[in-house]
Amino acid sequence: MVKDHDTTEPAEEIGDLSAIDGELVEGEDEGYVDTASESEIGRPALPPSPDGNQRAWLHFVLLPTVFMTVALLGGLRIAAPEGEFVFVRPALICLVFAVILTVLFVRTGLISVQGWFSESIPTLGNIANGAVLLSLFAASVQMFNSLIPEQGLAFWVVSFCFLWTLGVSFFTVADPGKLVRSVVALFSLAFLTKYFILLNLTSTSSGTWLQRLWDDPTKEALTYLLDLPRYASATGYIQFFAAGLFLLGLFLVRPDTRSAIGEN
Amino acid sequence: MRSKHIQILGLTLTAVYGLFVLWAYWAAPKSVSDVSVKARETIQQAANEAKAATGTYEVDPEKFRNGLNAFRAENFVLARDLFEQADPKGIDPKTQYYIAYSYYRQGWGRFSNDDEMFKLGLEQTDRVIALDREFKADDPDLKLKYAVELKKELEDGLKITADDFNPLRLTRERH
Repeated sequence: MVKDHDTTEPAEEIGDLSAIDGELVEGEDEGYVDTASESEIGRPALPPSPDGNQRAWLHFVLLPTVFMTVALLGGLRIAAPEGEFVFVRPALICLVFAVILTVLFVRTGLISVQGWFSESIPTLGNIANGAVLLSLFAASVQMFNSLIPEQGLAFWVVSFCFLWTLGVSFFTVADPGKLVRSVVALFSLAFLTKYFILLNLTSTSSGTWLQRLWDDPTKEALTYLLDLPRYASATGYIQFFAAGLFLLGLFLVRPDTRSAIGEN
Repeated sequence: MRSKHIQILGLTLTAVYGLFVLWAYWAAPKSVSDVSVKARETIQQAANEAKAATGTYEVDPEKFRNGLNAFRAENFVLARDLFEQADPKGIDPKTQYYIAYSYYRQGWGRFSNDDEMFKLGLEQTDRVIALDREFKADDPDLKLKYAVELKKELEDGLKITADDFNPLRLTRERH
């Protein structure tokens, strides 16, 4: 009775507004907190899973696995002609670019700080999200390591292009969808430059320098002038796979992780 | 499976995978088959570090004995390898002194010394001095008992002096 009395009072106060009668119906998207933001950034909304844990599996297990695989493969090169593994450690500039990219992810809303780290999220959830973010950062570092030429003039030119593009994006791109498209375009161009143009200019023949010069003078001269490291074409395949995995990982990143944690 | 368990699993997976990635870039295996070799080496190294930290580290007596036999048989390359295996952490002055001495004996020549061997011997002797400045060899076969004596001999061997052209030099003996 008291409740009825309470609910009638505001109606009297607002006077002539028409009242809408009806029953509350539970929506199908209950607990689906980030649907709006996902649709905003042009991602398909994930349907609710039967056991409710698919998002947790995707966010806490699949995503770090994808990103750590990128971190592993990003610096891997295959030496020519020996075919040995060469693990190239990232240059300092790669860390700087990765920081800028991560800040861009947050700034554009691809990663919402409130949705990843919050007082309302349990400590374990915050730590697990930190691990996912760390793996994303490691993958970003290694992607730059993969796409920027290792040394010489090409290193400086491509680094400058990256710096310019990231700088412009920092001040102009405010939409996460645009940022992802921009990253895809940037990485594709850098991939083409390094693994199609520069790798094809590199001489991979074995023997003494005189023999190599005799075999292919143009390539040998360009390899020397541009200070290009001698890597086998298998490197390009590995890095293509790594770049694809990174972009897949970006596609799977959700701005809000509370539904994965179970904090609806 | 509850979300909390998945988070713990994810955290563990990320940590283990992350450590593997760091290890791969540190150890830099050259092929897929080299991964297991490098892993074994890393485990061995970690075990030795742990032994050294807990004070339970000791030289492998069997390998040291074999190294000593090879040293006395003047097979210095094998001797060094066995001594290095006996003392993988390189913290036992006695074993390290034998390694330094092996460089000296291998590099010594009646007409001229092998400078490369002497340089390596000098570096190794410095290592022995850093480990134990007052180290004294108890082997009667080693005529240079102290590391500083060996260091002096190696330094003199690397210098070119007027004495090097003295014909009587041909009568000198190896220590």
